[in-house]
Amino acid sequence: MMLAVTNIIPESENIAGASASETVDRLTSVAVNRDRHAFERLYGYFAPRIKSYMIRQGTDEASADDLAQETMVQIWRKAHHYDPQKAAATTWIFRVARNLRIDRLRKYKLHEVEMPPEVEPGDDEGSGHESYEKRPDADKLRALVDTLPQNQMDVVRLAYFEGLSHSEVSLQLSIPIGTVKSRLRLAFGKLRMGMGEKI
Amino acid sequence: MNIKHHPDDATILAYAAGAVTEGFSLVLAAHMESCPHCRGRMAEANALGGELLSEMQPAAMSANGLEDVWSRIDSEPDEEIPAATCHVPVDGVPGILIPYLPDGIDSLHWRSLMPGIRQHVINGIESGRGSVRLLSIAPGTIIPHHTHLGGELTLVIKGAYTDEMGCFQSGDLADLDASVSHQPVAESGEPCICLIATDDRLRFSGVFSRMLQPLIGI
Repeated sequence: MMLAVTNIIPESENIAGASASETVDRLTSVAVNRDRHAFERLYGYFAPRIKSYMIRQGTDEASADDLAQETMVQIWRKAHHYDPQKAAATTWIFRVARNLRIDRLRKYKLHEVEMPPEVEPGDDEGSGHESYEKRPDADKLRALVDTLPQNQMDVVRLAYFEGLSHSEVSLQLSIPIGTVKSRLRLAFGKLRMGMGEKI
Repeated sequence: MNIKHHPDDATILAYAAGAVTEGFSLVLAAHMESCPHCRGRMAEANALGGELLSEMQPAAMSANGLEDVWSRIDSEPDEEIPAATCHVPVDGVPGILIPYLPDGIDSLHWRSLMPGIRQHVINGIESGRGSVRLLSIAPGTIIPHHTHLGGELTLVIKGAYTDEMGCFQSGDLADLDASVSHQPVAESGEPCICLIATDDRLRFSGVFSRMLQPLIGI
């Protein structure tokens, strides 16, 4: 199985010829102006990648095409829920694709916490993480992902792209479950540290 | 709320990746309602998903894919999908749990498992070979020593318990896997009510406990 997609050309410059911030602008324009041109630019970049994501989850090509289309329809219909203060556009699009994948392929709903806007981000009751809930910096994250060792990225990709649980990753790679978890912890720790978080 | 125990990084990543059961997602979301620290970690794990998605090798869409998308969009009125309901804890009970407890946590139909321990199974939540349940443990009661075949997430809703890992109070989440064997003891005062999700069966270590297992069905 092909796991490695390393050393690919950094694509921050060419999200359909746009930067990450232009992706945010496009999604915002879809939400606010029902901007069809902006939506088509989003489709051009994301639909083929969402389709690829669905194929990695084990769907056949036609179903993956259909699920990618359905994700794009949901992006159009839910765009007004996107809050640029909280997440990068790519993060929001990933969540829409992931939740649709779970709903259609696994037949259940992934529960996520929905916070009332007035509660965030100040409701930390002295936990010492006042600035914690700000939006993660997508460009910084992209650079950090490229620095992760191959064995950590393999485990991360199996979880994200194939939706494998820790025990399934352990079986697939023939490594103990403790190793799967420690690689995930190392990868996430490095990313969070690089993002400037207090670990 | 002073939360001291949080889910493992590996669990947060699996959650964001969509590689956990529905039951696990429910308990994790319930914890995050009162834990801004973990909401921040989740935001980062979701951002990692976005980053990985945008670096995927593209697979060409069907030739009329975009047209099909427009016809799907235009076939229905362009109504805005309302935002999901927000979750706010009510009397210490996570908001996300409330739809599953229509009569409230104080009038649940508890079933006695063994002296001092009562349970209420929440049905209809995808959990693999595991389950989602509430346990009510009388003050001072000891839960028999057990390990887990898969994972177990325990969120304390009310009261507190202590085990080898420390003291767990309201809002704390214990994230256990097969490598951990523990023997929780409910603290004195009020009963300890926990929300527990497993994704596989538990394994009790003593002979007496093993006999109980089929009965309890944990």
